[in-house]
Amino acid sequence: MNRLLTHAPLLLLVLTWTVLGIMQPAFLSGESLLNLLRQSASPIVAATGMTVVLIIGGVDLSLGAAMFLAAALAGKMAAAGQPMISCAIVMLAAGAAFGALNAAAVTLLRLPAFVVTLAMLFLGRGLALEITKTRAINLPEEFLDLGRPAVAIPLAALAVILVQMMLSGMAAGRHLFAFGQNPVAVKNSGISTERLTFLTFVVCGICAGLAALLTLGQLGTVSPKFGETREFTAIAAAALGGSSLFGGRGSVFPGTVVGALLMQSIESGLVMLNANPYAYPMWISAVLLAAVLLDSLRIRRVR
Amino acid sequence: METPAPVLRLSERREPPPWLIFVLTAALLAGLAPVCDGLLGARNLTNLCGNLAPLFILATAQALVLISGGIELSLTSIMAVASVAGAAVMRTGAPAAAGVIVMLGAGAVIGGLNGCIIARLRLPPFMVTLISMMFFAGAAVWATESKNISGIASAFLPLGKLLPAAAGMALAAGVIVHVLLKHTMWGRSLRAVGYNPCAAGFAGLRTGSTVATTYVLSGALAGLAAVIYTARLETGSPVLGQRMMLDVVGAAVIGGISLAGGRGQVWQALGGALFFTVLDNALNLMGLSHFRIMMAKGAVILAAAALDARRTLR
Repeated sequence: MNRLLTHAPLLLLVLTWTVLGIMQPAFLSGESLLNLLRQSASPIVAATGMTVVLIIGGVDLSLGAAMFLAAALAGKMAAAGQPMISCAIVMLAAGAAFGALNAAAVTLLRLPAFVVTLAMLFLGRGLALEITKTRAINLPEEFLDLGRPAVAIPLAALAVILVQMMLSGMAAGRHLFAFGQNPVAVKNSGISTERLTFLTFVVCGICAGLAALLTLGQLGTVSPKFGETREFTAIAAAALGGSSLFGGRGSVFPGTVVGALLMQSIESGLVMLNANPYAYPMWISAVLLAAVLLDSLRIRRVR
Repeated sequence: METPAPVLRLSERREPPPWLIFVLTAALLAGLAPVCDGLLGARNLTNLCGNLAPLFILATAQALVLISGGIELSLTSIMAVASVAGAAVMRTGAPAAAGVIVMLGAGAVIGGLNGCIIARLRLPPFMVTLISMMFFAGAAVWATESKNISGIASAFLPLGKLLPAAAGMALAAGVIVHVLLKHTMWGRSLRAVGYNPCAAGFAGLRTGSTVATTYVLSGALAGLAAVIYTARLETGSPVLGQRMMLDVVGAAVIGGISLAGGRGQVWQALGGALFFTVLDNALNLMGLSHFRIMMAKGAVILAAAALDARRTLR
């Protein structure tokens, strides 16, 4: 039974695909699945960044704002004629810088991540709105190349692989899990908690920048609502994938990736079924609740 | 190895002095008055009070849940559902009183749902209220097909538009919650449960029902705030307060209510809501753009939290 619950996210995904496939066979077609993967690229990357923050027991409410800021900067640069590659680099750098600011506030001011990232959400969105003068910026056609499956999916996969390698292959990764489970013990072991915090938020920031890049590839424009509520969908996807909100537990692959795919599948599936669009959030919430419930059952059994 | 930090008794923890946030607000007013035309004028102060009332109610609702050791992310969605439900009822010709009852009731029911799931199924409040927020925001839009509901009873409108009415309701809510927190067993249990749920359980307190009823009360308060906003808008709106959630949490943080639970008072919610409202009002009057106001709010939240962290021993 425990085995079953451990793999609950994956089982839920398979179940969802089966149900959707029965109700609408076109959903399981190659083209549709490829499209699904393409659309999942950005949410997967965002949720990956969030997973790392969740592992240390924190949360990043400013993820969407970081995405917006990165996109706004890219928009301005592109409008000024800068090549796409410089825009991309700036986006990642901006995300990293934003993350570093979050980490600085958490370590120097000794504030809970919730409060810091909440404040940074205000600051980030405000700054980005200032940069774009609350107007939408259309990006040059070439950005849409990033939205093609051949580009988006490998980029997302790269991010996932790198972060998962860090988590499971590097000492720093193990330290992150330890930090989430027992920060005092980690500190007393002589490990620099400041460095861990910086690593976490900078990685999350870079993921935010990349996620923004992938979203730009899909939308081709930066609207004033860019990135809104993305932090919540990222948290949901990570939680769906088995990351604990209390820290110390989580995996990017398969966990978070499955979680993000599940959320995107529900959305795409509902579109294909011509379901009432107003009902989408309700369906997704129901699945989320089921997933969180299953996850809590699993923890309960372990105890 | 360094000696661990001494554990202070609850009474010895350095709390910010009660009057601090109000002094800061006064300082803010005084400081901005010269550069801000009409800030202290009667018209503006009336506006200010009008904006303060519902935010204070929401901040109190959030404070209650924070004290219990949880968090309520779905307050704005509760408002939306309450607004729509009440308006729909009044549209069929029901009197204003029915509208109020329905709104409060809807809030209490959704709050109760949250509370039961959190208490019975023992799921983390962050996730539960996040899912709840998504679900009910979607439900409100779905039920109304994204349209506003008009046809509000005319007797209902003064509840939001008439300042004494709105302020009166806010005051009553504040007094009731204060009395509940300070002078009832329930209030003391709540603080115990929030501070240390394990110990509270061992002490024989009914943690489950205390937590659940907190969310019910919080939801009802959100319904009350919906009454005021709906009366002002003169329609039931499925997107009521959509952008306000962060303001509500920000106000609670600024007021000094601990996110860890177990501590918090109504005056803190008042202080936070007041400061936030004054800041918003003054910056608006000064002609600051919407996004600069956002950045200012963010900076203030950081500063307030930093000050608070300095004070309490960590």
